[in-house]
Amino acid sequence: MATVEVRDLRKRYQDFLALDGVSLRAETGQLVTLLGPSGCGKSTTLRCLAGFLEPNGGDILVEGESILSTPANRRGFGVVFQNYALFPHMTVAENIGYGLKLQKLPKGEIETRVYDVMKLVRLDGLGDRLPREISGGQQQRVALARALVLKPRLLLLDEPLANLDARLRDEVRWLIRDLQQQSGITAFYVTHDQSEAMAMSDMVAVMKAGRVAQFATPREIYQKPVERYVADFTGEANFLSCDEVAVTGEGRYSIAVAGTTLDLGGVAGITSDTPVELLLRPEALRLTSVDEATFRGTVTKSAFLGAALHCEITLPGGGVLKLSAEPNANVRTGDEVGIAIDHSHAWLMPEVAP
Amino acid sequence: MTLRNPKLWLAVPAIALIFVFMILPITNMIEMSFRTPGTTEPFGEEFTTMHYDRILGDGYYWGVLFRSLFTAGVVTLLCLVVSYPIAWHMSKAKGLKAVFLYACIASPLMTGVLVRNFGWMIVAALNGPLNDVLLGLGIIERPLRLLFTQGLVILALVHVFVPFMVLPINNALRNINPSLIEASASMGANRREVFRDIILPLSFPGIYPGMILVYVLAVAAYVTPALLGGQMVSYMPTLIIGELTGTFQWPFGSALAIVLSVSTILVVALFTALTAKLMERSKA
Ligand SMILES: Nc1ncnc2c1ncn2[C@@H]1O[C@H](COP(=O)(O)OP(=O)(O)O)[C@@H](O)[C@H]1O
Ligand SMILES: [Mg+2]
Repeated sequence: MATVEVRDLRKRYQDFLALDGVSLRAETGQLVTLLGPSGCGKSTTLRCLAGFLEPNGGDILVEGESILSTPANRRGFGVVFQNYALFPHMTVAENIGYGLKLQKLPKGEIETRVYDVMKLVRLDGLGDRLPREISGGQQQRVALARALVLKPRLLLLDEPLANLDARLRDEVRWLIRDLQQQSGITAFYVTHDQSEAMAMSDMVAVMKAGRVAQFATPREIYQKPVERYVADFTGEANFLSCDEVAVTGEGRYSIAVAGTTLDLGGVAGITSDTPVELLLRPEALRLTSVDEATFRGTVTKSAFLGAALHCEITLPGGGVLKLSAEPNANVRTGDEVGIAIDHSHAWLMPEVAP
Repeated sequence: MTLRNPKLWLAVPAIALIFVFMILPITNMIEMSFRTPGTTEPFGEEFTTMHYDRILGDGYYWGVLFRSLFTAGVVTLLCLVVSYPIAWHMSKAKGLKAVFLYACIASPLMTGVLVRNFGWMIVAALNGPLNDVLLGLGIIERPLRLLFTQGLVILALVHVFVPFMVLPINNALRNINPSLIEASASMGANRREVFRDIILPLSFPGIYPGMILVYVLAVAAYVTPALLGGQMVSYMPTLIIGELTGTFQWPFGSALAIVLSVSTILVVALFTALTAKLMERSKA
């Protein structure tokens, strides 16, 4: 239970700069997700936090005190690895109790605590099995139990769900979130899955090539991304390039796009010279009659997905908008349609953050 | 499995090879060990247990057998102690460094057994380099008689058997997932505890074959004890060869060899039984 602050963290592998000034902050009890594509430095950040790697610059503070000089075995952090890293020669119970045994606690207490945490993660009755004798989902829960049983100050999870199939992933995801919230442990969670990040996190750090592109709540990341990269990585998105941008207020703009003028919010600090893009999430768009429409276009693709009809509409200027229409909408390829937009869901942002 | 299974025919050459070069000679030796001594033939007509009675009834042979088994045990343990750190460094090496280390490790095997042992004779001679170094460092005041001692035999055997220990352990260490070490550290284990609880047990699948290999080779070593051990201490192989080529007592020599083989197998079996649980758990 602790506030954690990562300050301007730098890490170099030989001549490759893996972390180029990462700054983050987790308040007590928060779950902070590091989200980004493979190779952007998520694991490196986590491994610096865990003490497995020594950063080349920057600092990590827990409760305001630097922990860089504390070795991994004295940091008191729980770590859950992508490949689980269960000790193959120890039973499930021995795996979970290993940390307690190192603390030289009485045998009875170890047994009780192991039993309790096994119950918590629904591993009852599997204590005597070896890791190779249980399923992937169960192994994953052993890894979780093993970290939680030590009541860590900070929980670090590196893509803990990556090796599970979709159904299990959903189940374990909520288990992790529930346990984390119940115990009030501060946690850092690495994933490259945006829906996982959105659903679980208090705060999300979208990482880009060794830097944090944006650090904010899931809602802000999704609705108010600071650049195209962030919007792209956090869900379905339509981008339109804008012809003219005029600043009308603090973070308010008026733009000309695809033949119309829009008043909308955007990232603060955009000027008329900034290369910008208009972000329209699919749910900001609605099919409508041609007269009421903001945009007009031709349907170039429509696919029935069950719960929705997926449409792609090409605008006269060449831009393409994807949206979900009502499943029984009468839309066919080649139709002229109108699109209405919800202004509060339109967002103007630079192509690349300055 | 039936003989109609075509894959089984693929095993025929191997079975034939094992039959001709292993089963036949061993059966032959077992049989010979129960024959009366011959005067004009390698062995006599009748069957007898007299050779075994003689060996088992004579404390001298028990002593030599014990010395052979015990010395091999010492060689094996020393080999393990020397080899483990080498294997550890090797398992961390990559690329050219790894190739270089492999070559260094294999180097004792690149010299013929006679040349190697004559080399030891020169090194360990009264006015040889080993004594020179010890004198030069002031560790000893006058040259030590190193040649023809049990210690030199053990040293020379450890030297040549190190590769057989290093390679399987190196292999086992390479197979340990590095995140296990990080995981144990994150759970509070210091370096000693990581080694004791994780690395050592998980490298057992390499330690075990290394120890068996070195033990069996050390028990059977002949040239090194014969050349470096001198006349004062006997080991089973020197005794056996003496019977076979010196006094031509083939039945008695065979009985000695069988006693040695059976004892070695018992030691190996005992070791295997004692470590079975560890092995079962630690193998990948
Ligand atoms: N031990 C290493 N040596 C050299 N480069 C490394 C090492 N570990 C990671 N990298 C590089 O650093 C970058 C970031 O790696 P990592 O933090 O594992 O990314 P992520 O977890 O986001 O996929 C990658 O480009 C990777 O190739
Ligand atoms: Mg990673």
